[in-house]
Amino acid sequence: MKGLMNYFPGDTFLHRMDPRSKIVFSLLVCIACFVTNNIYVLLGILVLDLLIGVFGGIFTQALRLLKGLLKIALFLFILQALVMRAGTPAFYIGKLAITWEGLKTALMGVLRLIDITLPLALMISLTRMSDLSNALVSRWHVPYKYAFAITSTIRFIPVFTSDLRSIMEAQTARGVEFDTKNFFKKASLIVPLCVPLLISSVKKIETAAMAVELRGFNLRTKDSSSKVSQFHLPDYLLLLLGIGLIVLAVLI
Amino acid sequence: MIQMKEFTFQYDTGKKPALKNIDLEIHDGDFVGIIGNSGAGKSTLTYAINGIVPHYYPGDFYGSVLVDGMDTVDTAPEQLAVKVGSVFQDVDAQMVATYVEDELLFGMENFGVPKDEIEARLTEALQKTGIPDLRFREIDSLSGGQKQKVAVAAIIALRPDIIVLDEPTGELDPESSDQIFQMLKFLNETYGTTIIVVEQKVGLLCGYAKRLVLLEQGEIILEGPVREVLKNADRMEEIGIHVPRVVSLYKELVQRDLFRGEAPIGLEEAETMVREVLS
Repeated sequence: MKGLMNYFPGDTFLHRMDPRSKIVFSLLVCIACFVTNNIYVLLGILVLDLLIGVFGGIFTQALRLLKGLLKIALFLFILQALVMRAGTPAFYIGKLAITWEGLKTALMGVLRLIDITLPLALMISLTRMSDLSNALVSRWHVPYKYAFAITSTIRFIPVFTSDLRSIMEAQTARGVEFDTKNFFKKASLIVPLCVPLLISSVKKIETAAMAVELRGFNLRTKDSSSKVSQFHLPDYLLLLLGIGLIVLAVLI
Repeated sequence: MIQMKEFTFQYDTGKKPALKNIDLEIHDGDFVGIIGNSGAGKSTLTYAINGIVPHYYPGDFYGSVLVDGMDTVDTAPEQLAVKVGSVFQDVDAQMVATYVEDELLFGMENFGVPKDEIEARLTEALQKTGIPDLRFREIDSLSGGQKQKVAVAAIIALRPDIIVLDEPTGELDPESSDQIFQMLKFLNETYGTTIIVVEQKVGLLCGYAKRLVLLEQGEIILEGPVREVLKNADRMEEIGIHVPRVVSLYKELVQRDLFRGEAPIGLEEAETMVREVLS
C-alpha cells in the first residue's frame, strides 16, 4: 500500500508527542480489540481511530487508508460469512445458508482488522522516522544497528526505484518491450532488469557503508542522540486512555 | 598537512598498482585539484588520504601517508575523519537521513559533540555552505546541487581541517557545478580549510584551484600551481585531458607569435589577453 509509512509533517499535539507513547497506545488498542466481544466497543474504537486522523490533521489520509482496508475487509467478510455454518439461517444462497452468527462474526473480524491496523499506521504517519528510531535506541535500548538498518531500508526505496526506472528506460530505448501484455514475456524481462539493479545497488550500499563509517557510525552509542524524547502530560493521558479502553473491553 | 612518501598501493583485487611512487605534499590552506583519465588512480588518491585505503579496501601498501603527522595505516578511519572530511561521488548513497537537519546531526552526535554546542555548529555549517533555508527540508525534495551542499555541510559540521571531494559535480549542470566550487573557494579563503577535489571538468577546476595534480596510470605526471601545469597543455592533450579552451586559445596565439604573456586562467584573464592581442 503506497504511502502507508509516509510521514505527514505537521505541528499538532500528536506530532509533538513522544514516539514511545504513540506506539504503546497503538498496541494497547490492539489488545483491547482482541479482548472485547462487544461490537459497540469495536465501533467506538473505529471512531477513535478516525479522531486520531482528525487531531493529527491527516483525516483524508485516514479515510484513504480506511478505503484501502475496506477492500481487504470485504473479501474477508464474505469468506468468513460463507465458512461459518452454525447458528440460525439469515438467508439462503441457493442451498447454502448464511447464518446470523456468521454475519456477526464476520463483521467483528473485519472491524478488528481495521481497528488494529489504523492506529499504528496513523501514528507512524504522525511520527518522524528519525524520532522513532532515536526514541527506541536511547530509551528502549534497541541496538542502533537494527534501527539504522530499518530506517536505511525505507530511505533507500526511492533511490532504488529511480535506479530501476532509469535501467528500464535505457532498456526500452534499446527495444525491450516492457509494455507487453503477455505475462510470461514480461516475467522473462525481469532477470535482465534485476542484474544491473543488483550491481548498482551493491555499489551504492558500499559507498553508503564507507560514508557512514567515516562519519563515526561505529562510535555511536545509545546516548548519542541529541534529541531526547520525554514523556509529558499528553503522553500519560494517551496511555491512560489506552488502558481505559482495555478495562472497558474487559468489563463490557 | 598531508605528506605522501614513495607511496604505492595495489588493491587485493587489482592486477597492478593503482598508485605508484607517489611523492606529494599538500599544505594547510591549499586548494588542490586532482585530474586524470578514469582509472588513473584519482579516487584511490583520495581514499589514501581519508584512510579508506588500506582500512576499508585492503591491499599492498608501500611507503607512507601522513595526515598531520598521523600515519593513516596506524590510525583508525574514525579518528582520521575528525581531521579529514570526505564527500563521495554518489550523493544519494552517502545520505543517512530524511531531513537536512538530521543529516547534519548524524555525524555530530556520533562524534560526541557536546549537546549545547550542536545547535551553534549546525547553524554555522548551514551558513558556511549557504543553505540555512534548507534546514527543515526533506532531502528527497532537493536538487542535485543542493544535495551536494548538504553533503558538504554535514562534513563541515564536524569541523575538519581538510575536505576531500570525489567528483562533487559529476551529475550537476554547469551552473550548480559553479556554485559548488564557489562554496569550496569561500571555505578555503575564509576559513583556511584545505580542499582536495577530484574533478573531470578541468576548465571549471582551473578557475578555482590553486594547484593541480595530474595522474596517469597511477603516477603523478604533472604537479604544481595551476598556471605552471597549464604550460604543459600539449602534454595534457596527448594524454587525453581536455585543457580549458582559453588555454588552447593562448597556445594558438603564442604559436603565431601574437602574445607573450602568462597563460590565462578563467574568462576575465582571457578577455584581457584577447584585448591586448587586438590592440
